[in-house]
Amino acid sequence: MKNTSRYPMRRVVIAGALLVAFVAVFVVKLVEIQVVRADEYNAEAEQVRSVENTVYGARGDIVDANGTVLAGSVMRYEVTVSPAQAQAGEADDPGQLARGAADLGAAIGIPAEQITGAIAAALAADPDDNWELVAKQVDIASYDKIKALGIPWVYTDPRPGRTYPNGAVAGNLIGFVQADNGEPQAGLELAQDQCLAGVDGKTTALHSLEDWVDIPGSERTIKQAEPGGTLKLTIDADLQWEVQRILAARIDEVGAAWGMVTVMDAKTGKLLAVADVPTVDPNDPSAVAEEDRGSRAFTDPFEPGSTFKALTAASVIDAGKAGPTSEVVAPYRIYLGDADINDSAFHDDQRLTLTGVLVESSNTGMSQFGELVSDEQRYQDMVDFGLGSPSEVGFPAEASGDLNGGPDWPDDQTRYATMFGQGLTTTAVQIASVYQTLANHGVRMPVQLVAGCEHADGTVTGVPDATPREVVSPAAADETTAMLERVYLEGWLADQWEIPGYRVAAKTGTAQVPDGEGGYRHEYLVSVSGYAPADDPQFVVSVSIFDAVKMNSSAASAPVFRDVMSQVLKKYRTVPSGAPAPELPASW
Amino acid sequence: MSAVPAQSLPKPLRGAPEPTPARRLRLVPARAAGRVKPRLSYAIIALGAILAVAAAQLVLSVAMTQGAYELDSLRMEQAKVDRDAQLVREQLDALQSPQNLARNAEELGMVPNTNPVYLRLSDGAVLGVPQAASGGVEGSVPLVPNSLIADVPLVNEPAAGENAAEGSAEAPAGQAPVAPPAGALPTPATH
Repeated sequence: MKNTSRYPMRRVVIAGALLVAFVAVFVVKLVEIQVVRADEYNAEAEQVRSVENTVYGARGDIVDANGTVLAGSVMRYEVTVSPAQAQAGEADDPGQLARGAADLGAAIGIPAEQITGAIAAALAADPDDNWELVAKQVDIASYDKIKALGIPWVYTDPRPGRTYPNGAVAGNLIGFVQADNGEPQAGLELAQDQCLAGVDGKTTALHSLEDWVDIPGSERTIKQAEPGGTLKLTIDADLQWEVQRILAARIDEVGAAWGMVTVMDAKTGKLLAVADVPTVDPNDPSAVAEEDRGSRAFTDPFEPGSTFKALTAASVIDAGKAGPTSEVVAPYRIYLGDADINDSAFHDDQRLTLTGVLVESSNTGMSQFGELVSDEQRYQDMVDFGLGSPSEVGFPAEASGDLNGGPDWPDDQTRYATMFGQGLTTTAVQIASVYQTLANHGVRMPVQLVAGCEHADGTVTGVPDATPREVVSPAAADETTAMLERVYLEGWLADQWEIPGYRVAAKTGTAQVPDGEGGYRHEYLVSVSGYAPADDPQFVVSVSIFDAVKMNSSAASAPVFRDVMSQVLKKYRTVPSGAPAPELPASW
Repeated sequence: MSAVPAQSLPKPLRGAPEPTPARRLRLVPARAAGRVKPRLSYAIIALGAILAVAAAQLVLSVAMTQGAYELDSLRMEQAKVDRDAQLVREQLDALQSPQNLARNAEELGMVPNTNPVYLRLSDGAVLGVPQAASGGVEGSVPLVPNSLIADVPLVNEPAAGENAAEGSAEAPAGQAPVAPPAGALPTPATH
């Protein structure tokens, strides 16, 4: 080695340098592939070899106060066929297409001609067509039938679906989702989508080419699926059903267009039942007219009429301007300022107390009491009772009601009309809230429909605010309750809404409904609102029925009030009242 | 191993001639040459180990593949069981819906009583006014619709709907004698 070269060092250095340079090129390339662009290449390779699977994050359930599932998620199947494969099969076994279509049609309940027609049309457009949709949202029973048929050109793919086990029970509140893509359409499904919606996840896995068995250790979770939260309501499903049944039966009986009943816990402001008839069955929303698919109790404001007099009476007493036995002469017709006010039926001048004004439901009497309180104070009381703004529930498209510009009402007629419940609008839920305030000794509780959203990890969010607000003094509220008890005992419907054993405070109302164009519809909305037991109010029930053609007076809603209230008292095991209601003179 | 002495070469190069490293290199094979038999046993051990590892890997691989198929079939089974569970749960939900209960209660001639009466245990007082339930059997099903119970048979009509398909035509005849005698408990026929 020593004598082979005159310049051994130089050669060694050159050779070494070349070697190093050569190796360096590989090293650089290696680093680039293995380190710098590793993720990119890995992803590309995964994509080529692996199969991506969607893991559905189930939409959360909607449950009632006792955990009864009102809306739940289920797995449904999308059924598709491959027209090209179906046609190819004809070569080996003529007639198999027609037989397969007939069997498939029988399994999922569609005519065979529809399937053969779709296949023929798809083949005409593209002879290599491999995908034609046959049915969406096929249930498991049909899925099992399809699998048992074993038709090679029929494919099924799981898709999440929604089911409402109790049908129309609380369908007005829950709303529904679009059947084919699960998009929330109405009600709490829509309003509480943030709570309910799950997040779909993704996994990938390598699989055997021959039989599609996953290769162990090749599964990767690209994105973790997250199930939606469980939405808990304050509603009781059994009570809701019974209330809907009572209301629907009465609506059929009196030929009414629609009706609504609100049942509220007087001490907490929790809605126990909100019935709207006609009611949508969320499993089949198209079975009822579009305007009947929501909850009018939240979305359709109306002029409350005489049920509103209880609020004015409480305002007057709270302001110290009058008491239950304060006296007034109530004529049939009275002119106050520019206003011309009359009662619903002609009568001679009546010498009434404030109690008597409520019992007789005298507009002229109530106007004379109402004007004792300043407009500003009366308006403020209305706002404090929760009128003029949507309730705390936040129902989709919930109405705020219209206080008609108060306290600066446009004219005297409106100003006086607002004292007996006309010239302003409220929702049924707002009226129930007014009576809740009176029942709860003048303390208004925020209206609650949703108790909270329980997430998969056990945390509960969306628990509604429950801050009480004193609207009128306890004395004013209790005196109003005592007067409403006299209405219940002496009013013209006394024998129709009697609930034996319990003391009840209630008020009727007959009101007109705005037609949306500045005028009134000629049909009436007849209502009864009240609470029981009056000695310790626990439940508020408010009933409104619209356009009862066979009985256009509060008598249409009185039996509903009686039946619903007695059902509520029975259900919650309310102890019957002991002492009789206090006597209050209605006239002088 | 040989790379390490090779790299140490240049340092002695500066001060000392080459023979010194050559001697050292010879020393190593001289030691190794003297112990031929131990090297063979090592080779056997090493080869054996390699074979054992290869065999173990083969066994593990086969087991894993077998496991993959087992896992796959178990997953299929789980999916099937999940489907069955959901099917049964959906049926149960339909059965326990208030509409179905009310329908069956009405079918049996039951009517709701709207006048609750309470017995207070502390003093035996009866609270409320007892009244017989009034009103006939009401058809409440159409009032609160539920499209899910359309195909659900009534409990006292076991022959209707799907049950008829499962059982043979003999089932209703066979069931008739099973009904308990009205007004009396069945007595055992032992002596």
